[in-house]
Amino acid sequence: MSDWISMLSMPLIQNMFIATTVACVLCGVIGTYVVVKQMVSVTGGIAHTMFGGIGLAYYLESVLLVSWFTPMDGALLFAVISALVLSIPTISRRLGQDSVIGVLWAAGMAIGVIFMNLVDYSVVTPRSYESILFGDVLLVGQTDILLMVTVTVAISAIVLWFYRDLQLLTFDETHAKLTGINVNLMKTLLYLMVAITCVMITNIVGIVLIIALMTIPAAMANLFSSSLGEMMLSSIVLSIVFSLLGLILAINFDLPPGGTVTITITVAFLIAFVAKNLSERHGKRTCTATKKIEKIR
Amino acid sequence: MWTLPIEIRNLTSGYDGAPAIENVNLELREHDFLAVIGPNGGGKSTLFKTVLGLIKPISGSITIFGEPPSTGARNIGYVPQNGMFDSAYPIRVEEVVLSGLRAYKGFRPNYDREEKDMAEKAMEYAEIHDLRKRRISDLSGGQLQRVLLARALAPLPSILMLDEPTANLDPSMKNCTYDILRKANSEGVAVMIITHDIGSISHDVKRVACMNRRLISNDSPEITQEMVNLGFHCAPEFLHTLGGCSDE
Repeated sequence: MSDWISMLSMPLIQNMFIATTVACVLCGVIGTYVVVKQMVSVTGGIAHTMFGGIGLAYYLESVLLVSWFTPMDGALLFAVISALVLSIPTISRRLGQDSVIGVLWAAGMAIGVIFMNLVDYSVVTPRSYESILFGDVLLVGQTDILLMVTVTVAISAIVLWFYRDLQLLTFDETHAKLTGINVNLMKTLLYLMVAITCVMITNIVGIVLIIALMTIPAAMANLFSSSLGEMMLSSIVLSIVFSLLGLILAINFDLPPGGTVTITITVAFLIAFVAKNLSERHGKRTCTATKKIEKIR
Repeated sequence: MWTLPIEIRNLTSGYDGAPAIENVNLELREHDFLAVIGPNGGGKSTLFKTVLGLIKPISGSITIFGEPPSTGARNIGYVPQNGMFDSAYPIRVEEVVLSGLRAYKGFRPNYDREEKDMAEKAMEYAEIHDLRKRRISDLSGGQLQRVLLARALAPLPSILMLDEPTANLDPSMKNCTYDILRKANSEGVAVMIITHDIGSISHDVKRVACMNRRLISNDSPEITQEMVNLGFHCAPEFLHTLGGCSDE
């Protein structure tokens, strides 16, 4: 116990818990739209494209000594470009959104691998592949947390203002169009918010596991919510509870935090799913039994 | 100046320049109850989408109370076919009905008291007030149909357009849907429905049109031999005049 108390007093560990909590709030809000609009592939595509930007930033730093273009800037640039490409209706209609995602996903990763290979390691020491792909929450500093909080507040404010319009867009796009919503503009806004969220949580869970934090808590919340707002709040709470539990397990058993958080949330989701099915079956049985008793009476 | 609710002249429309419907002429009149029948793929939905302004016509014109669809479509309450939206979406009945008033709300973040009252009245009209807190995925097909009707009726439209309103509904639910449509029609709302299921058309229909790439309309609620030839290429025994049609 005293070990835990002394560990929690370490700034590194405190930053890890705070950063994860903020990431959970952001993912709870945006992940809800990802789940209800079935944009998991879009999110995966945007997330993986970021690797190209990270590789490019390290390359520019090592070859041209460009220090102002950080790996996070590179990730943001590639994420925003892929979000904009995916939101252009003509491209998606002509090629099929699935194919566009495939191209962006593969090209982003390939660009990243090539640039990382071209980096001059005597000038720059890039983060390891493992850290980029699977996250390293211990690298998150106070400046990163401040940026994450600012972005979370800004995105939450946008979502709050456009809550009804985003709800209609993700529920019934045709009706949204008929009632005067600029569907293309609103979709672009949504994709950009997904892109920025991906950039913000890369350090926590890494490029590969971004989808976990964006979809599993929201999918779990969807099992028990009757409205979008309820789903968002439940998703935030569930995400915080199980992510922090995952971090504690990671520290306790000396496991990688990104993977441990993902597995913890996945196990919680499976338990919730089974519990929901069992309760529904029980409900149906009780209902049938009540009807039989009423018939006998 | 007196204008028709919907006036379609020499309309050709389709997708990517390929016509799905050709040279269509049709009017929807005041207090009208028009059923557009025809086989699947005959262009009924293309006609609806063009009238609603979702597709630009290749040639010809559409006016809604004298205005083009881009502005005139605000007079239309539209009920989509089931399956055109996500029925598993986490949304309550009252939120769906409120979304019918989005055009009133504009860029405000939320609906005001007046809009909420209009949604309440629409839910009472469609007899779904007791379901207002329920998630739509918990509703039956008939209940969901009434929710969509309430959403379409909430902004008090002059025209109602329904795409296959009774598809996959049991007879009692079909009657229930037509009861609401009859009530709205008797209060002055012009109704236009499309269906491929001739047997589901009720006695309330005042005029009928048949669509299979081109369109033939009749000023009475009877399916003519010409319509049968156009829409169904056969004269099966179940095709009967609407006068003898029962919605039981």
